Amino acid sequence: MSKHLKRIDWLVGVCLVLMSGCVGGSPPPPADRAQAQVRDASNGVAPLERAHPGESEAGDEYPRPPKPAKQYTIGVVLPHLSNPHFVGQAYGYIDEAEQLGAKVTLLEAGGYQYLDKQVSQVEDLVASKVDAIILVAVSGSGTIGAVEHAFAAGIPVINCNVMTDSNRVVTRIRSDDEMIGQMHADFMGQTLGGSGSVVMLRGAPGTSWAEYRGNAFKQRLSERYPNVQILGEQYSQSTPADGLRLMEDFMQTFPRIDGVYNGSDTTANGAALAILAAGRQGSTVVTATDLQIDTEASLREGVITATVLQQTVTIGRWGVRAAINHLEGRQVPQTLFTPLLLATKDSLDTVDMSAVRAPVGWTPPN
Amino acid sequence: MMRMLRKASWSQIGMPAVLVGLVVVFGAINPNFWSATNVTNVSRQISVLALISIGQTFAILSGGIDLSVGSLLALVSVVCAQQMLEVGVAGGVVAGVLAGGLAGLVNGVLIAKARVPAFIATLGMLVAARGVALTLSGGLPIAGLPREFLVVGAGNWGPFPVPTIIVAAAFVVAYVTLSRTRFGRYVYAMGSNEEAAVLSGINVAKYKTLVYVVSGLFAGIAGVVLTSRVISGQPTLGEVQELHSIAAVVIGGGRISGGVGGIGKTLMGVLVLGILSNGLNLAQVSSYVQNIVIGAIIVGAVYIDVAGERRRRGSTVTS
Repeated sequence: MSKHLKRIDWLVGVCLVLMSGCVGGSPPPPADRAQAQVRDASNGVAPLERAHPGESEAGDEYPRPPKPAKQYTIGVVLPHLSNPHFVGQAYGYIDEAEQLGAKVTLLEAGGYQYLDKQVSQVEDLVASKVDAIILVAVSGSGTIGAVEHAFAAGIPVINCNVMTDSNRVVTRIRSDDEMIGQMHADFMGQTLGGSGSVVMLRGAPGTSWAEYRGNAFKQRLSERYPNVQILGEQYSQSTPADGLRLMEDFMQTFPRIDGVYNGSDTTANGAALAILAAGRQGSTVVTATDLQIDTEASLREGVITATVLQQTVTIGRWGVRAAINHLEGRQVPQTLFTPLLLATKDSLDTVDMSAVRAPVGWTPPN
Repeated sequence: MMRMLRKASWSQIGMPAVLVGLVVVFGAINPNFWSATNVTNVSRQISVLALISIGQTFAILSGGIDLSVGSLLALVSVVCAQQMLEVGVAGGVVAGVLAGGLAGLVNGVLIAKARVPAFIATLGMLVAARGVALTLSGGLPIAGLPREFLVVGAGNWGPFPVPTIIVAAAFVVAYVTLSRTRFGRYVYAMGSNEEAAVLSGINVAKYKTLVYVVSGLFAGIAGVVLTSRVISGQPTLGEVQELHSIAAVVIGGGRISGGVGGIGKTLMGVLVLGILSNGLNLAQVSSYVQNIVIGAIIVGAVYIDVAGERRRRGSTVTS
């Protein structure tokens, strides 16, 4: 008996340690090689293809449709809610649904590594007969089956932000990642006066955003600012700790670094710490993407020079608008790119933050 | 009557009562819970957990534990997908199951022959198998699997989902093995009292090794089903699934120190976990709160079991 009990105590303790390790310590896995995995475009529904800047079919606005007579239920499936980027999006989905008299069921997988959970969540939404599903995929290839399951059940899927490889989606709504890379390049090239040496913290290997942004950055630099030299580039799991470590190592390797490209705000936050510690703030041009609280502070302090803002709230709003339009029988464009904006210390206060992040103090419903 | 109730154990009455209660409550909250699509939905969703929990039952019954089954899902998924692209669907499936069995054999030899404690040996495998999966795949998902392979995880055979049929077959095989074969009796014997098992002439090393091979093979089958469900090889699959499988065994009424439990009980534990997760999703309970509920159920189930046993022992002494 006592042996039994003791064994349980011990096991539960170890389980807790293991669980916390698993949940907290796992780096987000790289997403799919989206390009390589495009298959079966035969059904003619929104094939996943490389974005071409400025190709958004809606321009800068995708207006709110009239409030439908029916109260629709929309299931939203997100990778996780531990990044302000997704909290802002969650706000967009929920607030827009409220405006349109719709109900949102918000589910999050708990991280990019829980693909099986996201698949089950989509199946549960199909079983509970929601009117439409908005999917932010944790994996391009891994969500094909789930999307086809919903499609077979006659439930339309709107793909937002992170793409699935399935073609059975009504529309794809996201930022134009290639344009993000070009905006970084233009700002870097102009600020450096056309010449200098930069390093790149690209982000998570194999994710569509890290690839598209980084490649577009390099291509644009070589086209328009041939005298800006890329000293080195590194992928990482895209945490602030990675940004700090990689930037420290870069500064050890290269005595002179004029600029630092960051594919995300997370590595930028780490790189900013390294630059501060080395006392090089102001003399190094640091570009980031998105705007966490720490990023904003560094931007105001002048450690981060500029950031490309994605309209995360807008992605959420447009997702709900597209769903309602589709449910009401209106045509929905196959691709929608949400607007982008480059902000510096000086222009930050003029930016309409309501499209960029959730209102201060707003938290997703539990 | 009271005495009968007192004597009844958690797994005989408590567990089925909890199951019925869950079904009634969730059905009342969302009528779609009862729909035929959701019943097949749940049975499909729990298939992977059911398969690894069957293997876990062998390990725990024998007095050991298998912490590696979650990571093995990832290893199996990567091997299965890579081989499938090389040699076709059948080859991929066989390679995946064998990869699981091979990892189980390594576990078994380490535990039975090298005498590394099961907890440590399979903890090592938990870490290493994930490493192998990431190395083989370069950290990237393996896509482009043939569409016919979808049948394994998403197809139907008549009104029954294929993964459910796989689970049913595995259940029968495991049930017969544990209750009707010498190997099965030895598994219980080793878990109840290993020393006595050795003294009574059982080749403990051999059967212990076999236990982990069995667990690995079931993880192999589960990994193939999961790979089909996500129709790609994914090196990040299966995190914390080993803990869910242990939870399923103990919620069903299996004793964590071995010797007590069974496939039927484990399946009941799997059903509770699966129905909870699905029902809470349909009732729109946040996944954060779901974790709290599931954690409470794991500890609560074992507590009731232990308390019930203490009470029964107490009453035997006084009567």
